[in-house]
Amino acid sequence: MKPLEIADVGFTYEDGTVALKGLSMSIGKGEKVAVVGPNGAGKSTLLHLIAGFRMPFSGQVMIEGRPLDESSADDLRKHVGLLFQDPDDQIFMPTVEEDVAFGPRNLGLDDIEGRVARGMRSSGMETLAKRKTHRLSYGMKKRVAIAGILAMDPAILLLDEPTSGLDPRSRAELIGLLKEMDRTMLIATHDLEAAAEIVDKAVVLNVGMLMEGTMRELVLARDLMHEAGLELPPISKLFRVLETMGYPMDDLPVSLDEAVEQLTRVIDREGKHAHAHIHTHVHGGHEDDHKHSKAAAGERQPRDEK
Amino acid sequence: MTMAHFGGHGRTHLSEYAGDVWFGKLDARAKLVGIFVFVIVSAVLTDFVLVLVSLAVALTLVLASRLPVFYLARMYSAAVPFILFASVSVFLFGGWERGIEMWARTSACVLPLLVLAAGTETFDLFAGLRRLHVPAVITTLLMLTQRYILLLSEELSRMSIARKARGFRGARNLLDRYGVKVVAFTAGMVLVRSFDRADDIYEGLKCKGFGQEMTPWRRSRVALKDGLLALGLATVAGLLLTVQLGVIT
Repeated sequence: MKPLEIADVGFTYEDGTVALKGLSMSIGKGEKVAVVGPNGAGKSTLLHLIAGFRMPFSGQVMIEGRPLDESSADDLRKHVGLLFQDPDDQIFMPTVEEDVAFGPRNLGLDDIEGRVARGMRSSGMETLAKRKTHRLSYGMKKRVAIAGILAMDPAILLLDEPTSGLDPRSRAELIGLLKEMDRTMLIATHDLEAAAEIVDKAVVLNVGMLMEGTMRELVLARDLMHEAGLELPPISKLFRVLETMGYPMDDLPVSLDEAVEQLTRVIDREGKHAHAHIHTHVHGGHEDDHKHSKAAAGERQPRDEK
Repeated sequence: MTMAHFGGHGRTHLSEYAGDVWFGKLDARAKLVGIFVFVIVSAVLTDFVLVLVSLAVALTLVLASRLPVFYLARMYSAAVPFILFASVSVFLFGGWERGIEMWARTSACVLPLLVLAAGTETFDLFAGLRRLHVPAVITTLLMLTQRYILLLSEELSRMSIARKARGFRGARNLLDRYGVKVVAFTAGMVLVRSFDRADDIYEGLKCKGFGQEMTPWRRSRVALKDGLLALGLATVAGLLLTVQLGVIT
């Protein structure tokens, strides 16, 4: 049984705008999936459907093996933690710890003290328990909202544009936090760079599903990216430029981690290659030795000139 | 949390100073009981001297609370039109002494309530009411209403800035049709936008399993100093009442 299964779901707004059509997907336990797509693609609508705030006109949403409908929505919502785009919409209590405890108390969960402590620790807020929520920065408020959700221990985390409106440091911290979290996650985002750092799988949505695959498969699908109005992550753009300049690339990296891994691999391989040349030519003559020493020091010759 | 500028001092909440003063650290229940008893008794006093005494007690509370006097004065100024209306009406029909008595009586009631509002976190105030067994539906409604008012105020402030940024300088008078139209549209937009935000907040509440109650998780206890404040105010109120009723002359 998967925590989330969506079968042929369709949703149309009151004004006739079709937000979702024939969408089917599922998320396995512990899997992190990004839903990407242009504005109006239905990303937020999808999250609201899963959270039971709207009911699909067709198809079915199954949470923890149970069908979601009007009668089960309130109960099933306990298994779903939705992080809103604007944290101000989901912080209600005057202090951080009170707000984190708000959800577990409402749900009548046990060990509230422990849940609050764990929620705050997981979101890096453990030292700010007594802080007034209205005095926190936007990034901090996002963390409080996440802590509040984690304290409820939901089976699935739904995150609506988690990195929007954050300054670079808060964004990096939040990405690190989500990356380390061992949870089932569905993230609706425009931020492919962040998604690449966090998720295992991506779904391209534009009313219907355009593609499902890994982030690398997504960024390699140029036409689809264009159709969905998506931009390559900056790191992928850089490596694509390097590739045109003859850089020996194995795969297009989609995240900083992958880029570092690839650079390390290439430097290691190419460095050894240059070193082998030095070794071969050191007995052959000083000129060759000099030339390859420079290459080893980083003054790489273009790939086709080696 | 939703914020709204209040008073123009860079403070964003009505009770923004509450955390800075000793009065703000007292238990909300003790403050509610003490101040409400005092206010109710002050409202029924008819003896001129006793009314002045209750005003003096109210002023003492203002000073003793250590809340910024200018801040309380600004809050008081919002009540002045109503106080003046009542006082002038009484003065016209009953003479200057009755007019001053009305002003003193209403001020003796308003000032402690202002101290209570400014010197207690709004949430603690409503939570205190709940712990005094006021029905949950009332306290929750109060909390949500306060949230909605702040939301309206925030949306209004945003729209006002947006209007100014696009060169709108306000309606010159009621005959300025264009200006009046813009203001009317703004009012409509504020309501629509705040309704949308309220919807989001409601969904946020539902996400956290909200039922009917919003009470704090940490339970506060009424300490000796809290009890002393409540007892002190209740004693003063009791003395004033007994003198008023002629039990003590």
